[in-house]
Amino acid sequence: MRRTSTLPITLGELARIQPLAAAEPHLADPSRTVEQVVLAETFDRLRRCTPHVLVVLHNEAATGGWSLAAALHLAWERNLSAVVVSRSVAGGSSVALAERLHMSLILIDDDPVDVALQLAGQVSAPAAARALRQARLAELLAEQTGIRGVLGVLNRELQQVPVALVIGGVVIAGQSAALTERPQMRQIEVEVHAPGERSAARLVAAVPVSGPASVEQVESLLRLARPSLQAAWAQSRLDAATRAAHEQAAFGLLRRLPSAPPPSGEQAGIEVPAWTSELGWQVGEANRAVWLAPLRPSGEPPPEITYLIRASWQRGHSTWPLVAEGDGWISWHSGADPDDVVALRRALAGFRDSAVAHRLVIGVGRAHAGVAGLMRSVAEARLAAHVARESGPGAVQWFDQVGANAALAWLPTTEIAQVADLCLEELMAAKDRAALVQTVLAVLDAGGSLSQASQHLGVHRNTVLARLARARQLGLTYDEPGQRLALHVLSYALTALWSDNAAG
Amino acid sequence: MTGQPGYIGASASITAEDVPALYEGAKFYSPAVGDANRSSITSWLAGLLDRNGPVPLLRVEAVPPETPCVSVCVLGSGSAMADLPPAGDEFEMAVRQIERLQRVSFGAVYPLAAATISALVAVVAAAQLRVPLLDADGMGRTFALIHHTAMHLSGVSPTPLAAVGPTGESVLVEVPSGPRADRMLRANVDTVGGWAALAAYPTTAGVLRRAALPGTVSRIANVGRLLLDRTDPDVLVTRLGTITGCRRLARGRIAELEHLSRPSDVTIPAHPSSLVVEETGGLGRQLRIELRSEIVAVFADGALVAGAPDLISLLDVSRGVLATLDSLEPGDLVDVLATPADAVWYSPRGMEMVGMGSHGIPLAHPRRR
Repeated sequence: MRRTSTLPITLGELARIQPLAAAEPHLADPSRTVEQVVLAETFDRLRRCTPHVLVVLHNEAATGGWSLAAALHLAWERNLSAVVVSRSVAGGSSVALAERLHMSLILIDDDPVDVALQLAGQVSAPAAARALRQARLAELLAEQTGIRGVLGVLNRELQQVPVALVIGGVVIAGQSAALTERPQMRQIEVEVHAPGERSAARLVAAVPVSGPASVEQVESLLRLARPSLQAAWAQSRLDAATRAAHEQAAFGLLRRLPSAPPPSGEQAGIEVPAWTSELGWQVGEANRAVWLAPLRPSGEPPPEITYLIRASWQRGHSTWPLVAEGDGWISWHSGADPDDVVALRRALAGFRDSAVAHRLVIGVGRAHAGVAGLMRSVAEARLAAHVARESGPGAVQWFDQVGANAALAWLPTTEIAQVADLCLEELMAAKDRAALVQTVLAVLDAGGSLSQASQHLGVHRNTVLARLARARQLGLTYDEPGQRLALHVLSYALTALWSDNAAG
Repeated sequence: MTGQPGYIGASASITAEDVPALYEGAKFYSPAVGDANRSSITSWLAGLLDRNGPVPLLRVEAVPPETPCVSVCVLGSGSAMADLPPAGDEFEMAVRQIERLQRVSFGAVYPLAAATISALVAVVAAAQLRVPLLDADGMGRTFALIHHTAMHLSGVSPTPLAAVGPTGESVLVEVPSGPRADRMLRANVDTVGGWAALAAYPTTAGVLRRAALPGTVSRIANVGRLLLDRTDPDVLVTRLGTITGCRRLARGRIAELEHLSRPSDVTIPAHPSSLVVEETGGLGRQLRIELRSEIVAVFADGALVAGAPDLISLLDVSRGVLATLDSLEPGDLVDVLATPADAVWYSPRGMEMVGMGSHGIPLAHPRRR
């Protein structure tokens, strides 16, 4: 059953709307409900209060000094929700006593009678008070132009309820605590549709079950934030799209520089054009490129993904470029020392979660000087990224460690496998083909050594022998010198493809 | 009286050696009073006792019931008395005026309040009049107004009374209703020099047997001896407890002094202010101590734990002496002591007169809850 919004209003809610919004609250427990408001003039009246009453002290009961201390004690004895008193009679020691008694104390500047009347109205009509609060929140949200600003307002207003904006499992803004599942917390989600597009953006809030705000209320507040968020998002996407196009064009221009003949025939190197610094780019002594590529290339990625990748890649490195290129993204780091990779390693470590979430692999080139060097590093990084695909999402491959193996990464494994379907029909029909191909590959890799192959595969030498015999029968005649290279490549391609499929 | 140091017990007379103890004990029962005229009054009294001999201290029961008795005290401000010291004959003159009016000759004198300077001036008057001093008084501590006495509660009229100022002028008051006397006197105290020697409550020893509080003079002498014998504060509190019944409410550090211009009760001349003490050790409670001309209430975490007519005093722990209210400063470590007043003050009429209601605190006394 849905809980209705006519639940008693809580202290936390009251403190967010006038007249208490202007007061100085010392709330021991914002989730305390307020069922009634009492204007207490005497201690006798205080003594007759029932629990969950908010008491406004007035006259004799609000002369300060001892009277406030005694009132706080009585309030504690009677289990009242809060004590409201004029600021002029409450000193620091009264606040300290309230904290000690775990009693909420709210200090006001206005006339206690007026405040009590207004509060009584709010408490008797909690729905109206909540509407007032929503109106106030709507005003605050309307003032925000950025996504972070909107999330900031939500998190500030919904105390104890963390809110986050999430796209595809990645927190774009807000508090990531909203995503952690905890007991006594209910997660609620509100879809945020980007204008005119299918989008998986969600506002997620973790509402404490026993907290001050009910689930419906939080949900309606999140919905209230939706238009501001959409507007802010459209704005930032517009900006991002412009920038991405700008960067792409600039990089294209940069790429063409080394191939164009130098004007005066000098070979002193290509000068770095001034316009690169307008984009915040650096091309210097040691340029080390990074290629971010999807694990499974599927054409040019949509601009939203570019936006997300940029957001997480440039976190803390806002000057690092990010250029969409083909099915991946290029970035680079420039420095004076070619061996200084501390910043890059840190950035890669920070990016790892996003890389896994978006199923990306990363290749890193070597450091080279100048524009031509940068282009060379880009090519290396791309090669390394291809090699990295073997290790699954989030993998990072440095070109320095690739070497000639990089050639293997370029093998069109899918096409080679199709060749196998045609030439090795019998083998491909066998149920144990994977084990056979794997064994043949291991023996070839070991230069024909059966003992090394059995050790690598973790099976007995006799098993290896038996599999080899069967493979030979099925057409995998690996020991014929004329076919050895072709079959070695074939075995490599099939193993890579199958293990890839198994991993996928 | 035995002048041996450390002697605690009943006394039969007061000698010059007892004066310092008497002074200290009198101060315990009126902690608000400063030390402005300590040396002048003690040396005056000691000199008198040296010249005229010890003053006999008699229990009321030891005096024939028909003996006429009169009480004396100082009316007005102690600091005014320091500015304009007594000529010396004020108290004798005041008593003589009532003797003339009533055509009696008083056979004994007793202090209106066995506390403050009033306790000492009763000895002065007894020495000058060469009559015994009764070991009894009307308050057992000090209260603000002259009808706040056990005699008034027993139906003894404070009048006719005579007030003699240091200027030599005097006022003679006769009123049918006791409480009126105080108002009439206060109007005149400033005129006669800021303070006045008061002789009041003329009655007989027989009446005082039921109307006065017995043993209060020897009590302040005993308390004074304990206070003079400077010891560890913990030991001192225990020893005081055996004589006065006082107990330590808490030990704490003064955190805040609040001087608030709060509306105060018009009948008692005082400015309300408030003292916040953070209890060290124990429950770590926050004590709020309400000050008027004396300490009228102690709240622990907002709960009333002691209040008028309890006598509440602060013991300066680091120095082992009673702290006067004008010497308090934030950071001082103090013991908050509560001493029960004499039982008569916890009766409904007593509470109405000097209880917390009279200080504008409409809460039930912890002893009566």
